Amino acid sequence: MPAARRAVLRLTHGLVWVLAIAIVLFAVSPLRAADDRLPDAALVRLLQEGRVAAPGACAQSGIDRLIRILCAGRIRIGVRDRYPLFGTRKGEIRQGYEVDVARAIAQKFGVDVEFVTVNAASRIPMVTDDRVDLVIATMGHNAQRDGAVLFIRPHYYQSETTLVAPRGLAVADWPDIAGQTVCVTVGNGSNAEIVSRGARLMLFDEAVLLPDRLRDQTCTLAAQDDSFFASYFTEPRFADRFTQKFGFAQVPWGMAVARDGSERLARALDLLGQIFHRDGVFLDFARANRISTGFLERQTAIWQRPECNTDAGSTNPACILPALSARLQPTSFAEHIAAFESRFAAWTGIDLALPMLKTTSAWSLFQNGVVNSLVLIAGALAATLVVGLAFGVALGSRFRLVRWPVRGLTIALQSSPIVLTLVIAAAVIRPMFAYSSAVALIAAIAALGLSNGSNAGQAISEAIVTLRAERSTSPMPGMELFSRALGRSATQIVAFLINAAKGTPIASFIGAPELLSALTDIASFSSGRVTIYSLLLIFYTAVVMVVVWICGRFRAFLERSHPPI
Amino acid sequence: MNPLFDRLSSDFLPRFLGGVVVNFEIAGIAIALGLACGLLLAVARLYGGVVGAGAAGVIALMRAAPTFVVMFFLLNAIPRDASLFGVPLALSGIMAVALSLLPYAAAYIADAGVDALEQLRRGSPLGSLLFLPNVTRAFFVLVMSSSAGAAIGVPEGIAIILRQAEQLPSLGDKLLLFAVGIVFFGIPLQAGFAIMTLFQRRLSRAVMRDRAAPRQSA
Repeated sequence: MPAARRAVLRLTHGLVWVLAIAIVLFAVSPLRAADDRLPDAALVRLLQEGRVAAPGACAQSGIDRLIRILCAGRIRIGVRDRYPLFGTRKGEIRQGYEVDVARAIAQKFGVDVEFVTVNAASRIPMVTDDRVDLVIATMGHNAQRDGAVLFIRPHYYQSETTLVAPRGLAVADWPDIAGQTVCVTVGNGSNAEIVSRGARLMLFDEAVLLPDRLRDQTCTLAAQDDSFFASYFTEPRFADRFTQKFGFAQVPWGMAVARDGSERLARALDLLGQIFHRDGVFLDFARANRISTGFLERQTAIWQRPECNTDAGSTNPACILPALSARLQPTSFAEHIAAFESRFAAWTGIDLALPMLKTTSAWSLFQNGVVNSLVLIAGALAATLVVGLAFGVALGSRFRLVRWPVRGLTIALQSSPIVLTLVIAAAVIRPMFAYSSAVALIAAIAALGLSNGSNAGQAISEAIVTLRAERSTSPMPGMELFSRALGRSATQIVAFLINAAKGTPIASFIGAPELLSALTDIASFSSGRVTIYSLLLIFYTAVVMVVVWICGRFRAFLERSHPPI
Repeated sequence: MNPLFDRLSSDFLPRFLGGVVVNFEIAGIAIALGLACGLLLAVARLYGGVVGAGAAGVIALMRAAPTFVVMFFLLNAIPRDASLFGVPLALSGIMAVALSLLPYAAAYIADAGVDALEQLRRGSPLGSLLFLPNVTRAFFVLVMSSSAGAAIGVPEGIAIILRQAEQLPSLGDKLLLFAVGIVFFGIPLQAGFAIMTLFQRRLSRAVMRDRAAPRQSA
């Protein structure tokens, strides 16, 4: 082969190789660009920059916490130590979902982890006072907390308030709990929602009491964070008896760092959170610790989507969840009330709290409670009087067919504790009408009227019998006999009218939205229980004293109009 | 056998009877405390003057205080960790119900006590003995009123019935169970009232004879 031809062939081969390499490079370059935009690459860059800066910057003041952590070779993480399945401690051994997450973060940063125990009250101060670098401590992310600490996005878990009840209880959704008693803890943010659905609340100070009260049947329904009940549902005996009926009020949980000096640390944790969701790391930890995985499964799918799986994913509103807005709407005069509370405390040294006047939802409950209480008292008085007169006529009748059934009913009503009479009235009236506040009020008025009216009626009938006996030689006409019997039994009638008025607060037991019920609801989501119940006692005692005064005038009228013989 | 009894849990009866015992326990505490407070108030009221007026005011307030509200006040106004000279003040459910019945019991016993003391002053010891059936009557009213404890989770008789009723599917079964509860509460109550009425009548006759005897002898 001539030398010139060989040279042409070599040149051709060379050009082919160059062309092939160029084609390959051209084909691969978009992938490299895409890889550069993945959270993984951004995290590697961030950590590399930190490690490069670390030796020189370690002694400087005001450095970002990420650099400080890399300098120290350890990260201080605040975790719970008595929150089953999420953060527990036996001796030096810590376990739980959040503990696993903390260890994984430290491993990714290439540093040691130093656990610091925090609780619900101390977790935010520990971060803001720089006693921990990061908290992973069952903390719900709400708008109010955004002002105190910097929350990491995406959220690493989500809890919800769950309604737990015996398996056999027919409760599937909100309509089924109207009128039922739900056991809750004071101050739980979701209590307001339960109240708005027509349930009545039984308040407890601590969540740990709820499972026991379910077991001993004090509570039929209990509402609490599902993360709290998670450990109980790992107990076969508890899980066999109870089940989660439905959940509501979802709250995303966030890791948090200090707002100042944590920009790079927060960025690194944002990226790490994305990676952990995308790769199912959070999910694996959740399964290992036997906690609910529904939220994490959905998050894994979200963070695998191309538009979320980027270094900007943690700021993409389509990928992240908003903070919960738990702030209650203040009333127009809330500031004046707060100022009055402060002045009162300064004058007297007594902490007066008037939460019923400070938020619109509490103010509305309070107003309705006062009006409903007055309606209930008026209704109970009227019902007692009507039932008393009717029973009096029937029991005083000469006809056995009229007298005996009413006597039987009177004995039954006298033998039934008022709580039971109320429940029976509510049980009978509910199948006829859909539950509403008005239905509960009507049932309560009927029960109080029957219970007290039957006694008043018996007093009237006894007066009729004695009058008949005294006037056996010259019988009186029916109306005259009845009116004189009223005069003779006036004291008893008035006593049972007062009793009916005093008994009205018990209507809250069947969900009647009177003042006791309203203030219990307000106390469940606000502070100031002492003031609330003191005011309640003053209100009802004052109202009953007014009723006593009115009834005294009524008795005087009866005795004047129908003087006893 | 009635289908209702098949649907009731096997331990219902012992738990219900245990609950009724709690009702009597609450009433017993309330009447004991009511006797102490009520008799003091009765003596103070008969003392007259400012003391008597003050006692009358306290009795009027106690008479007007609704039991149910007092119960919630006691439960919520006293902090769980409150103590006095190292003695914990937090109330159990049973004590909260018993103390909520105290205003009624004390006011009732104060009124009955005033009557009894006046009878004694008039020289009628038998008349003053009418105080006893009145106190017994108040005790039975307290037994019935103690069912308010169901609202705060006290395991008294009505609470046990209501819990059982929530497990029953039909309204008919529930009403039947409620009727059983009324019978169980009604029998001791009606029997107690009947015995007290009988006792009171005999005592009244004895009082009348007692009053008539001096006149005859005079």
